[in-house]
Amino acid sequence: MDVQLKRGLLDVCVLAAIKSEDSYGYKIMKDLKPYLELSESTLYTILKRLETANMLTVHTAEHGGRLRKYYHITKDGLRRIEDFKKEWSEMLSIYRFVTKEDIDHE
Amino acid sequence: MSKQEFLARLRNGLSKLPQHDREERLTFYSEMIDDRMEEGLSEEEAVCEIGDIDQLISQITADVPLEKTKSRRRLRPWEIILLVLGSPIWLSLLIAVFAVMLSLCLSLWAVFVSLAACALGGIVAGIGFACNGHALPGLAMIGAGMVCAGLSVFMFYACKAATKGMWQLIKRRKRNE
Repeated sequence: MDVQLKRGLLDVCVLAAIKSEDSYGYKIMKDLKPYLELSESTLYTILKRLETANMLTVHTAEHGGRLRKYYHITKDGLRRIEDFKKEWSEMLSIYRFVTKEDIDHE
Repeated sequence: MSKQEFLARLRNGLSKLPQHDREERLTFYSEMIDDRMEEGLSEEEAVCEIGDIDQLISQITADVPLEKTKSRRRLRPWEIILLVLGSPIWLSLLIAVFAVMLSLCLSLWAVFVSLAACALGGIVAGIGFACNGHALPGLAMIGAGMVCAGLSVFMFYACKAATKGMWQLIKRRKRNE
């Protein structure tokens, strides 16, 4: 996949992974694995960026005798997902237009 | 590699980073390893999955300067050459623009100063005239002097605004670079 496109998608994917419930680093990676390849350092950068942009918050909780960081989506994060959905519904109609002729000719 | 060894090497490799940044990343990776082990992986396997540590270190140290200095744009070599070659032109133009702005500003102030001087001169001379028996011309001069005084007050505010505006223009241009 185009690198630039992927970079824009990763942010939204991470947000989607924490949308319905708070999640932690490794679980986010596992959730995204079927869709996008994600390394730890990339995930770290994304999480930091989203935190700075106020799209998620971080809190620490105890788990199995150690501390684990959990990420929670904010209103701005949810809004980002909604914007993404709008952008892509437009893109979908463009996709249909672009591939229409191909389908007609098949 | 053991988890401790991995973290020690990572801490070493990231020594150039600010401490807070470095510790945060270490916590992150430590957590990643722990979570993997919880899934059933051995410590060795968990560390292995993170990948090559040297590659990781160089990747992080390459990324961090970019994160910190996102506002400043790095100049490419050909841009630098072009700038240097063209400097006689753009530099002299810049000086010319600056000189024009400065002289405009100064001439505004000069008008103010002359108005103020006329005001003072008019009033003083007018009083002098009036006291020496030439009441009417004296009064007229005082009147003219007062008009000048009023105008000079307006001029003062105009000069202040113009100077401030020019200063901000310069500041904004400097910031955009």
